[in-house]
Amino acid sequence: MSVEVRDLHFSYGKVKALDGVALDLPKGAIGLLGPNGAGKSTLLRILLGFLSPDKGEGRVLGYDIKYQQPMIRRFVGYMPEDDCFIPGMDAVSFTSYLGELSGMPRQEAMKRAHEVLFYVGLEESRYRNIETYSGGMKQRLKLAQAIVHDPRLLFLDEPTSGLDPQGRKEILGLIIDISSKKDIQVLISSHILPDIEATCSYVVILNKGRLAADGNISELKQIKYSLYEMKIKGENKNFLQKLRDMKSNVEETEDGLLKVYMPPGKNPQDIFKTAAEEKIQIRHFVKSQTSLEDLFAKVVGVD
Amino acid sequence: MTIKEKGYTHWDGEFKDGKFPWWPITRYGIKLTFKKKFFKFFFFMTLVPAVVYLVGIYISERLEDFSFMVRESTVFLQINPAYFKSYFTNEGLLFMIVIILVFAGAGLISDDLKYNSLQLYFSRPLKKKDYFIGKAAVIVFFLFIVTLIPGLVFIIMKIVFSGSFKFFASYPWLVLSVIAYSILVTAFFAFYSLFLSSIGKNRRYVAILIFGLYFFTDIIYEILYGIFKSPYFSLLSFKINLQQVGAFIFNQKTQYAVSWVYSLLIIIGICILSALVLKKKIRGVEIVK
Repeated sequence: MSVEVRDLHFSYGKVKALDGVALDLPKGAIGLLGPNGAGKSTLLRILLGFLSPDKGEGRVLGYDIKYQQPMIRRFVGYMPEDDCFIPGMDAVSFTSYLGELSGMPRQEAMKRAHEVLFYVGLEESRYRNIETYSGGMKQRLKLAQAIVHDPRLLFLDEPTSGLDPQGRKEILGLIIDISSKKDIQVLISSHILPDIEATCSYVVILNKGRLAADGNISELKQIKYSLYEMKIKGENKNFLQKLRDMKSNVEETEDGLLKVYMPPGKNPQDIFKTAAEEKIQIRHFVKSQTSLEDLFAKVVGVD
Repeated sequence: MTIKEKGYTHWDGEFKDGKFPWWPITRYGIKLTFKKKFFKFFFFMTLVPAVVYLVGIYISERLEDFSFMVRESTVFLQINPAYFKSYFTNEGLLFMIVIILVFAGAGLISDDLKYNSLQLYFSRPLKKKDYFIGKAAVIVFFLFIVTLIPGLVFIIMKIVFSGSFKFFASYPWLVLSVIAYSILVTAFFAFYSLFLSSIGKNRRYVAILIFGLYFFTDIIYEILYGIFKSPYFSLLSFKINLQQVGAFIFNQKTQYAVSWVYSLLIIIGICILSALVLKKKIRGVEIVK
């Protein structure tokens, strides 16, 4: 296990950011999903030792999050969400500087800085002052500083935020390359679901500081529930209530499409029976191909 | 072939378990300070008093050659602890030190706060104390160049110019005084500037605070002393507190009728207060509770 946490609690004053989170994350690329305020960044910050949990315990790469933080930080790379850099430096100095702070010898840090800047596509502008960089270049630079010391585990906090489609595609390409071919575990915190679907095989969904779901994306999508899309005619209030009484999650889209998430063990025929009882005409019915977005909406209860 | 096609490569080197993990912070801090506009000019100006005092030491050993210059002023060229005290506590040197702090100290932490870079430092195997030592060492570097090093050079050059150890034998404690006072001044100004740098995100605003607060305490003393005529108001002035303790360290009479102990306690108090604020302010993430 790369990350294990047990009963993790953390509060910002009266606001509970994490409320009894327990996780065992396997190797590979892992997506950390959740709406704003779900506790994703707080979890990453606790794993890095920036914050000390109010309660609970955990290990990252086998090191205790409370007592072995320097070791964790040596083997973990962190790409923060916010823009962050050191003014007055060019990209090479900046990256090698952070390599040195990770414990790399000076010469090697400089050599490695050039390598990772080439890798993230900043080779042409690596001697330019960072303050003149565009948002996309800063994002790449943040990735470069996170991998300069060749971490075993990479924490990426909203790695594609603020990027144009092309920049996003390129960053995702780099993340896939790092996580799939290079034996580096990646934990990506994001609320952009397609990014997680594109890069991760395993997902953890947090909601209001609690663990809402976790597991392999493919398994979660198939096993946990079935999604049916339908269009109906008639007074739907009682019909929808009955579906909800069957523990199904029902959403209505703006164009009148109903999405029904049925729990395991329930039969789609129950929908037809209920419709007949309520004198509802079902004019369109299809078992939908579930996406991570659907899973997210199901477990978090938001669109 | 782009690097992406080449792919990511692992680093096969070994991490060093250095005893000074803060050293890169200091090195880059010094480098970045020298890159600042006009800093080199002001820094070399700061060394002018040291050169003048060094010339004074030389002249003191060659009075016969410079008699046309010094005439009756030979009393001022007696090299003794008072001469050293005069160098270390003169208003010009303290003023130039504050100018150095404006350049070297103002942005040390405020820039990290402004550009969110504290999280970059603390996502590395660095402790809070390493960060603090690394930043403080930038100030120590510059202030030792204008305090400790000139002081030691004065003693060495006095021995060299006189060709004997008589001076050293007369004042064997002077080396310790130079070291002690340099450490005191440097520690005070390091805490002072790091504290002010940690309370603002704007380097210019912090620079004004560093400069303004130092002189404000002196002006307040002048005003209150003018009204109440009590020497105890001198304790309000940073400059006078340093001069009072300096006079004691160099075994000279204090200028103000207040014990140097009070001044020392105030200096230590400011350092402790600054350390407490720094401990609270410097962290990987800003927490709003």
